Amino acid sequence: MTLTAQDLLFYILGGLSLASALGVLLMTNPIYSALCLALTMVSLAGLYASMQAWFVAGVQLIVYAGAVMVLFVMVLMLFDLKSEIKAFSRGAVAGFMKLVAVGLMTGAFLAAIYNSADTLLGTSLAAHVDGTVSTKALAQLLFGKYVFAFEAMGVLLLIIAIGAVALSRIEGGTHADE
Amino acid sequence: MPQIQLGLGVDSTETIINVIKMFALFLLMVQLVPLLVWVERRGSAFIQNRYGPNRVGPLGLLQLLADAVKFLFKEEFRPKKGVAFMYYFAPIMALLPGALSFASIPLSVPITLQGENWGPYNFVLQGYDLGIGIVFILGISSLGVYSLLMAGWGSSNKYSLMGALRASAQAISYELALSLSLVGILMVYGTFSFTEIVAQQQGPLTFNFMGQQQVWSFLPNWGIFYQPLGALLFFAATFAEANRLPFDLPEAEGELVAGFHTEYAGFKLLMFYIGEYGHMLVASCLLATFYFGGYNIPGVTPAEVTAFFASYVGEGNLSQILTAVTYHVSLLLRVLLFLWVFIHVRWTLPRFRYDQLMDLGWKTMLPWALFNACATAVILWLFQS
Repeated sequence: MTLTAQDLLFYILGGLSLASALGVLLMTNPIYSALCLALTMVSLAGLYASMQAWFVAGVQLIVYAGAVMVLFVMVLMLFDLKSEIKAFSRGAVAGFMKLVAVGLMTGAFLAAIYNSADTLLGTSLAAHVDGTVSTKALAQLLFGKYVFAFEAMGVLLLIIAIGAVALSRIEGGTHADE
Repeated sequence: MPQIQLGLGVDSTETIINVIKMFALFLLMVQLVPLLVWVERRGSAFIQNRYGPNRVGPLGLLQLLADAVKFLFKEEFRPKKGVAFMYYFAPIMALLPGALSFASIPLSVPITLQGENWGPYNFVLQGYDLGIGIVFILGISSLGVYSLLMAGWGSSNKYSLMGALRASAQAISYELALSLSLVGILMVYGTFSFTEIVAQQQGPLTFNFMGQQQVWSFLPNWGIFYQPLGALLFFAATFAEANRLPFDLPEAEGELVAGFHTEYAGFKLLMFYIGEYGHMLVASCLLATFYFGGYNIPGVTPAEVTAFFASYVGEGNLSQILTAVTYHVSLLLRVLLFLWVFIHVRWTLPRFRYDQLMDLGWKTMLPWALFNACATAVILWLFQS
């Protein structure tokens, strides 16, 4: 049996991403959960890079690990989250919602694996993909064939941003009764 | 027993040399730090009409060694209510982005060594050539913020936490301007790879104007002539990324004591400093690579330099090595010059107020970086069509 660097990377990064993803769920302190999620993002970026998807790996680092999760951690550090932890960790309704969410996610994952198994198995990696060339191909697809879907995604993100601003201006929230 | 192939070379000799090269690159960054600290202290003294450290050893150079010994032997200390894992991991995390990004920058021309019984071995004088250099550097350097946040939270100190939040807010604000200022470089060179960017900056200034190729032989083909605004924005943003004056708001004696590293002492504090100087080193290397021709020497090509050395020492490995050393010195001169500018600016400019800092980042540099990207696109389209 020959272990290539590729295989070693896969086992290390795969194990790291699984362990840190479990950490997100099992940690009781939201800050540790967020840091574990950041570690998951980084190891996913490593997995993308080991599959020669250089640009996706870089963007995963910049956007998710470097920007989104940093903001999460910053915000979590600013807030006193004791009442939120209590509100979300007790009660029959919360437990029921958790079960529903877990069921839905499991179903979605199983469906995704089942449907993509045929296309994924059997395709092998190219020997070496040049990062610039593959990124150019990706950009041409994004801004050519899929430009409307791409712009629609942009609008969707804008709506989320505006929605967040609108929500933050409503009086009340979880701390309203304090 | 599974056999492990690392993919670092064709045989064990090349693999071993490549592994040693990785350590050497890391040590290069770490070793530069005490020297830079000495330059910083002597330089600031020179600017302020003082002497600076001049007692220990010639020119005070052994002061560095004394400092390192002091740092190593300092009493181990950890805040009682802090989070041990975060407290200890934050200084390591401060080192990682600088070391990883420094290893991906090409430091000299690639060389091919060959003997009678061995080789040919191809060596690139960089840790790894990912082919996606710019995106990799931006991604890795954006992880540096976690070091600040972990230090702030793990110290369990209000000053530390406030300093960490302030520092990380500053870092992610200026990351935007930093990334956008590099979009122009991407458009001009059309590649992510540092090696290719450097290769394209060889020779005299050559560009298409009104459908005709213009060659200005009195100027080198450097990025600064294509992207002057981008270079300025990039340089300014790197000051903020490295938390250097005039952007050193995270450390504010009057308000926050020493910011996120208030609770750190000894070698752990030194590791934060190594991280800061590593940031400066990477920024200087990138500035040289993107805008000042990388390791190129204006007027000559690597082949000519090899031929020049071959006329003295003969064709072969020695002339190759001498060429690589020459080109490395060529890059190093630029990098040291930019490092001196970093240090000189620290002792020349006053610092910003925090609202001025945020205004500069979001309302001045970000729009100008956007303008730079748009203007580059329009000009490239006009000139090349």
